[in-house]
Amino acid sequence: MNVPEDLRYTADHEWARLEGGQVRIGITDYAQDALGDVVFVQLPEPGKGVKAGESFAEVESTKSVSDVYAPVDGTVVEINADLGDAPQRLNDDPYGEGWICVIRPDDTGALSSLLDADGYRKLTES
Amino acid sequence: MTETEPALRHSPLYAAHRALDAKMVPFGGWEMPLSYRDGTIAEHLACRQDVVAFDVSHLGTVRVEGAGARALLQSTLTNDLGKIAPGRAQYTHLLDDADGSVLDDIIVWWVDEDVFDVMPNASNTARVRAAVGGEDVTSTRAVIAVQGPNARKHLAVVSSEAAAVGRFHVVCFSWQGQPCVAAGTGYTGEDGVECAVPAEAAPSFWEAVLATGVHPAGLGARDTLRLEAALPLHGHELGPGITPLQAGLGWVVSWTKPEGFLGRDALLREKEAGVARHLVGLATEGRQPPRSGAPVLRDGARVGEVTSGNFSPVLGRGVALALVSPDVGEGSHLTLELRGRQVPVEVVRLPFVEKKG
Repeated sequence: MNVPEDLRYTADHEWARLEGGQVRIGITDYAQDALGDVVFVQLPEPGKGVKAGESFAEVESTKSVSDVYAPVDGTVVEINADLGDAPQRLNDDPYGEGWICVIRPDDTGALSSLLDADGYRKLTES
Repeated sequence: MTETEPALRHSPLYAAHRALDAKMVPFGGWEMPLSYRDGTIAEHLACRQDVVAFDVSHLGTVRVEGAGARALLQSTLTNDLGKIAPGRAQYTHLLDDADGSVLDDIIVWWVDEDVFDVMPNASNTARVRAAVGGEDVTSTRAVIAVQGPNARKHLAVVSSEAAAVGRFHVVCFSWQGQPCVAAGTGYTGEDGVECAVPAEAAPSFWEAVLATGVHPAGLGARDTLRLEAALPLHGHELGPGITPLQAGLGWVVSWTKPEGFLGRDALLREKEAGVARHLVGLATEGRQPPRSGAPVLRDGARVGEVTSGNFSPVLGRGVALALVSPDVGEGSHLTLELRGRQVPVEVVRLPFVEKKG
């Protein structure tokens, strides 16, 4: 399972990357593998306010539907609209082209409360 | 990732699936492959365009034999064995005598004059045995379904006899000295052959099939394939409270055979009164998969519910089977309630995807 060192993670299998004051969000390699082929992503509206731990998007595979939870409080500033026609990018490149959205966090410091790569790896191996 | 219960049964091909890195899931009391490395959609498209192999050993085989076998099946099950002969297969139903509900949908392989292999769904084997007796020989064999437009070409490399079996015909063949049975049946909407192979020979038969360039496919693709082909799944389109008439499977019921069948009186009452609901196909405009249990609305009023739904890999949009009021016809525009959102759907002709040629 691929767990990049430079990202932060939630116990619900989202990743978060700090990019100049904003946070890019997606689901982890572990999550996409568990879901199987992703066929639909319900994206949030840009401008939507999100709360850490609350569902703000949905990812559906041929097998099941899964909520995506916000890792931090903030506001959605950008969504990956390409997922509308190509949701399989979540499977093919979960940390790259399969990103889901960018959030402007209320507090960039909130990221430090998330799991680091080691912590997330331990979680998925337990 | 998957829940495993201690009592799950394993197919004779279990080790082979593990070696192929299959994702295993519990299904009907068995631990079976959900998908392999390529994933459900690639496996689905391979079956539509080329060929795949499924392990369907979880289907039951109840062998009913002897001088009274034909008479017993003929007076119990809905279809008419008078329409076929030894060496043929038939799709049929076992009904609840009280209300005409479908207790199981079954394929009968008429293997030889007095030998029938009755094949129920995994979890219904005991129920079927209670009605028709016979010996449960499920654990003695594997069943390998080779399906797709190129199925016969590939299977012919392994066994020319098996590959030559006609649609809904049954043939006994020998493979490496082992007695096997092949039937021109399947559950994908494509041409194909299902082979029952003794358990000890099954792993090498499976390996020989894959060695001809056939990709393995799991239950995930099996479900999306049968949905596109509008083939019913027991527990969804058939089951307690659902009759063959509601499911649009009146052709499975022989009203004219003198032996009758279990549930005939109840079903006749429904036929005369008219069904309270019927099965239709729904297609969404977008990709969001409808899911079983989703309410179906017409002008805001509930008219039924989805029995099976998913993303159709061939059509690129969501499709569903639904039991709805009998006055809902093709071309109707309805709404599905999916996770709190209203999704427009149209009632379309079944099957969603037709076999080419």
